[in-house]
Amino acid sequence: MSSLERLGAWVEERVGLSAILELGRHKKIPSHRHTLWYYLGGMTLFLFLVQVGSGILLLLYYRPSSDQAFESVQFIMTRVPFGWLVRSIHSWSANLLVFVLFLHMFSVYFLKAYRKPRELTWVSGMLLLFLMMGFGFSGYLLPWNTLAFFATQVGTQVAGAVPVVGHFMLRFLRGGEQVTGGTLTRFYGFHVAVLPALATGVLGLHLYLVQRHGMSTPPGVDSKKEMPFLPNFLLRDLIGWCLALGCLAALAAFFPWELGQKADPFAPAPAGIRPEWYFCWMFQTLKLIPGHVLGFEGEILGILGISAAGLLWVMVPFLDPTGGAGGGRSRFFTLVGWIAVVFIAVMTAAAYMPAGR
Amino acid sequence: MRDSLFHCLARTTLAAVAAVIIALAGPPASAAEPPSTPRGPGPLETSCVTCHQQLDGAALEPTKHTGDDIHFLKGLSCHDCHGGNPAAGADGDPDAAHDVKKGWTGKPSRLQIPEFCAKCHADATFMKRFNPQARTDEYSEYRTSVHGKRNAGGDTRPAVCVDCHGVHGIRAVGDTRSSVHPSNLADTCAKCHANPETMRPYGIRTDQFALYKTSVHARALYENGDTSAPTCNDCHGSHGAVPPGVDHVSNVCGSCHSREATMFREIEKKKHLDLEPCIQCLVCHGNHAVKQPTDDMIGVGPASTCTGCHGEGDAGYKAAARMAEDLGRLSGRLGEAAAILEKAERAGVEVGPDKFALQKAHDDLVEAKVLVHSFDIDKFVGVSTEGIKVAEEGISAGNRAFDELSYRRLGLSLSLLVILAVIAALAMKIRRLER
Repeated sequence: MSSLERLGAWVEERVGLSAILELGRHKKIPSHRHTLWYYLGGMTLFLFLVQVGSGILLLLYYRPSSDQAFESVQFIMTRVPFGWLVRSIHSWSANLLVFVLFLHMFSVYFLKAYRKPRELTWVSGMLLLFLMMGFGFSGYLLPWNTLAFFATQVGTQVAGAVPVVGHFMLRFLRGGEQVTGGTLTRFYGFHVAVLPALATGVLGLHLYLVQRHGMSTPPGVDSKKEMPFLPNFLLRDLIGWCLALGCLAALAAFFPWELGQKADPFAPAPAGIRPEWYFCWMFQTLKLIPGHVLGFEGEILGILGISAAGLLWVMVPFLDPTGGAGGGRSRFFTLVGWIAVVFIAVMTAAAYMPAGR
Repeated sequence: MRDSLFHCLARTTLAAVAAVIIALAGPPASAAEPPSTPRGPGPLETSCVTCHQQLDGAALEPTKHTGDDIHFLKGLSCHDCHGGNPAAGADGDPDAAHDVKKGWTGKPSRLQIPEFCAKCHADATFMKRFNPQARTDEYSEYRTSVHGKRNAGGDTRPAVCVDCHGVHGIRAVGDTRSSVHPSNLADTCAKCHANPETMRPYGIRTDQFALYKTSVHARALYENGDTSAPTCNDCHGSHGAVPPGVDHVSNVCGSCHSREATMFREIEKKKHLDLEPCIQCLVCHGNHAVKQPTDDMIGVGPASTCTGCHGEGDAGYKAAARMAEDLGRLSGRLGEAAAILEKAERAGVEVGPDKFALQKAHDDLVEAKVLVHSFDIDKFVGVSTEGIKVAEEGISAGNRAFDELSYRRLGLSLSLLVILAVIAALAMKIRRLER
């Protein structure tokens, strides 16, 4: 027995790796015309891991205070070897992660993968989406540049308009009445401690539920073809991850993430302030609602409407438990899904039009 | 009829005598006392307005301004300036209203107007009721002005208060509709100073307004809306308007351009008196038609102002040539550095610190242009050389940014090749597994 084999046997005796590998070999993935969508979950996980890795590297140099944050990011981008690459990959990967997460969510929605018994898989996935958006919102402020500063001011103002708890939320998010260095420190805490802890827990639950229930075969698909998770599906997953890595590298090299100008709280807000693209559809919706609707304040009505729509979206597995597999309401939910896709796309595009700014 | 004629004659004589007495009494202490407080009733309720509204022409005119005149708006009324007894006039008796015993002065002559206005405007106690920071030196300043001196000498043509501020319908200086608001002041001065008929007796040129309109000062005021930009009174004074003497021009310009003025004074300390005719601002920049200074003004080229005093071969000529050369080089290198860093930034390289460092070269360029006024070539070269060095460092930083960009793209190409190779290997592995 070679020394390598002896080491393997030593690890096997203590960890039981073969049992895990055996589980992977026995786990089967349905193979049909919609299988492609299954790779989105793995790609999201890959991008999340990229975020964790690049985020840890950024932590080595980042300083979370209003007088040092911008300079430290500038230092990372100009003086730290490959710092520009790490920061650009972190920023691009964050955006790709949210984009892939939306694709994953809509693919699960349209393939009705939320139906019984995967309700909690859907709910935990939605929680992960909210957490990732929270990562995006808190991380956007950390370079402490002008755009981030004013976008955070607008974003937290929206939270402040929520009835009853709005003012508390605004103060909780900002750490006071205004966006200050205190807000930056607070957002840093959310970004590197609170959200990662929550995300790890919810991600663990989500992966456990995916493992427990396996991949859902969409209603109407009769194919009984399957492939083993290990190695066939995992190898395909790896191809997707490599493609994502290539895209990230190209984006980072050709379109390095801009740093902009350092935030000046006393300067007037520049024109065209808007939040990150994945919040734009909500921002644009609020902008288009008239000041007063039927005696109610338009902004509050909009926030309540978006919150109610989000809640209903999370509750979809309970509203459409069969997903059309047993007949019933699923066509209606498919239509609602397409309306949501079109609405988000149109509103996001409108926010980027010159007149929408 | 004879009674009526006599009565009219007597009234006119009395009024004229009263006016002469008031005028001879001397301003402002012996003029009629200003009202102790803004008096009621308000202007619209007095018999002055109600009667004059029934009249025509000049007698009607004052009643049209009860809504926009600063005096009316502050609660003052006709009789606060003109005296008289409007209460008695309420019975319809104009003679009782125009009672000389009650201080009625009628319309003051142009020689009387400065004192007429000064009875309130030179009274600090009275003026502070309306504005704690109100000036009360306008009258004394006026008397030092060419306008005021000629007026005191009996010349009725030079400007008095009402020529600039208006008679009735006077607005606050800060009101953009006021004839003395910075945006209107030059037009107000030009009413007389651009009028050949008015200026001919005094032998004063009338092209100042037209020249001023072409100046960088007028552009700042009229095109950029910068009301701090100089107009007539900023150089000549307002109430104490005088043409600045040649000796004082640098002080006048220096009230805004303080660094250049300081440098002039340094030269004076060195007793370079032989250069004095050359070192006044207007020799190079002109007076009313001050243009935006250009680099071409320095040096020995055709647009140079230096060659007006310096001839080929003298030290000043050489210094001017060196200044022009350095300024051109600094401007050129600075522009080059800014362009390459801008291009690198657009390509995605973070050059914020390099752009910040380049500010020093920009500051040096501004400083060098100011130092031209010191006529000290050593000081000038010290700053310009430093600026050129910083600008060249900026160009190097821009070049390094492009080298970095090439390096990144090479790295990306190699990484993509590796990634493609891994993808191909994975695809082959899957194919072999599923064969």
